[in-house]
Amino acid sequence: MGVAAARTRVPQLRVRLRQPSQETDALARLACWAGRFTPRLSLAPPDALLLEVGGCLRLFGGLPAILDRLAGELAAQGFSATHAVAATPQAALWFAMQMPGVRCDTPAATRQALDHLPSEVLPAEIARTLHRFGLRRLGAARCLPRAALAQRIGREAIQTLARAYGELPDLRTDFAFPARFAQSLELPSAVENAGALLFAARRLTAALAGWLAVRKAGIAACCLHLRHRQGSTPLTLAFAGATRDPPRFERVLRERLQRHVLAAPVEALRLEAGTVADLAEENGTLFAQPGDSRHAMAALLERLRARLGEARVFTLAMAPDHRPECATRRGAAGTADVTPPVRRPFWLLAIPRRLDEIGGRPHDRGALRLLSGPERIESGWWDDGEAAGDLRRDYFIALTPDQRWLWIFREARLAGDWYLHGFFA
Amino acid sequence: MSALAKDLSEVLARPDIWRGDRLVDAPIPGVPSGFASLDAHLSGGGWPRGALIEVLLDGVGLGELSLLLPTLARIKEEGGWTLLVAPPHEPHAPAWAAAGVDLARLAVVSPVRPADTLWAMEQALLSGAPEAVLSWAEQIDPRQLRRLQVAAADGSALAFLFRPARAAQESSVAPLRLRLSSGHEGALTIHILKRRGPPLHAPLHLILPRPARWRSHESSAPLAGVGVSASAAGSPRRSVVA
Repeated sequence: MGVAAARTRVPQLRVRLRQPSQETDALARLACWAGRFTPRLSLAPPDALLLEVGGCLRLFGGLPAILDRLAGELAAQGFSATHAVAATPQAALWFAMQMPGVRCDTPAATRQALDHLPSEVLPAEIARTLHRFGLRRLGAARCLPRAALAQRIGREAIQTLARAYGELPDLRTDFAFPARFAQSLELPSAVENAGALLFAARRLTAALAGWLAVRKAGIAACCLHLRHRQGSTPLTLAFAGATRDPPRFERVLRERLQRHVLAAPVEALRLEAGTVADLAEENGTLFAQPGDSRHAMAALLERLRARLGEARVFTLAMAPDHRPECATRRGAAGTADVTPPVRRPFWLLAIPRRLDEIGGRPHDRGALRLLSGPERIESGWWDDGEAAGDLRRDYFIALTPDQRWLWIFREARLAGDWYLHGFFA
Repeated sequence: MSALAKDLSEVLARPDIWRGDRLVDAPIPGVPSGFASLDAHLSGGGWPRGALIEVLLDGVGLGELSLLLPTLARIKEEGGWTLLVAPPHEPHAPAWAAAGVDLARLAVVSPVRPADTLWAMEQALLSGAPEAVLSWAEQIDPRQLRRLQVAAADGSALAFLFRPARAAQESSVAPLRLRLSSGHEGALTIHILKRRGPPLHAPLHLILPRPARWRSHESSAPLAGVGVSASAAGSPRRSVVA
């Protein structure tokens, strides 16, 4: 019926235009996602996917387990799908359309179920012809002599039936996973809240995880582009190590999106994978090994970085510099063979604090007692910088009246001001 | 009826019953702190795992880290990670390395907002990845303390929370609370405010390794520079007068 007739029946009908290109994209994305389950799958456009699961049943623990996971992940992405299992691809397609949920593990069970299918599964012309003969079920059509039926409905239909029943091989082209991962997703309406993008981005991250699983690879970084009406904002997601774990993608993405303020409403998303590195499957261990803590720590640091920012979460390394300000380097790269100097304070002030000098002694809430020193540190003649440039200082270890241990210095050039530089603990 | 007629001593031996006259036997042995006089007064013979340990003190530099250094060195031997959350100042890497902490397994989180500090500590405790979490918090209310204690109890990490000394008057759900202050002759005085067992009224005095030798009757070293040496770039020769 036409749109006008439909509107008279249901006045509050909302009509949307079909977007065939978006449907093709969505099917390709789902095919990438399904790569997590099996590398052999093929598209049956416009809206069906065929997955060959015979080889991976044991990996996933049986047919009910794999079907549950498929249904769960599809629902999480927001798709409603019907499924069916059969011994041949064509039969599985027909079952999914007409008898959803059926599971025929063996060829015999498939043939039996096929017999009960109505003839509507065949193209409309052929179905009408079969109806005229009174053949409402495929089983009835199969009882007739093959050659005579072929003359009436065509060899094409006979071959389709034969392929469904398993008498002829059904060759489907395997889905070719793209060489580079770059998938776009159009949002149904402009989104203003960054947190709401998470649901849509989940489809993209699921596809990315499946694509990586097929290649047995992982990524350490990927880029999510938020496209506005004019321009786009790139969001880089970084991971502690190469990974293809969907929950980790989601976690980092969620923290990142919560921290991000949208410059303009977002109309589309695009996810591009960074450099792909080989990542073998990890063998499960029987007992927890110390190496596990490394992964757990990397995952924790990744989450903290995603929420607090890269600059706020760091590790320390020693740098071979005598100037105390320059002796600590952030980040993992550090010279392993630097001998730490003795008697350095645990905490260093970023900017040394000037101390009052009363009666020739430095004061910090009381007169300080100098217990060790002076230690002359002179370095950095080559550095023209202002803060940590050429240093010439005499350092002392001092004790406050309330028993706190400080590290103070006095500039050697212009004799005078005392400065507090650090605390022992 | 036979199930109810348990021996009273069996019931009293449960770890979640605190008796007023003796320390509770902790289900998991505590981590030795490196100071025998302190371990003798803690249930489990050391720092309790999976529990929030509050250390209250005013200021920085009393010796609070020196108290924990033996524990951190032990964690280095076992290959575990240490996490510092919101430290009061920049950590100076050479000092930490010289004290025996493995820099390759030390991570620092330095958030801007106090709410992020508590979130980071909770995440670290829930993940179970670091062996020790040292955190500094100025303001924290009882509800947040309870959340941290629940997060700590889920795992088996050492969770140290440094707070200002005025928090001693507030109630807290942490099973172990210590207040540090300076003691006689450079010792560190520890008041155990709360522990799994009877309250300890007398404070403990621990002798800690200090950066310099010190006697109360000695006067300070002369201010004039003694033993000054010129230094070339890259290889200074220093002389330290102790």
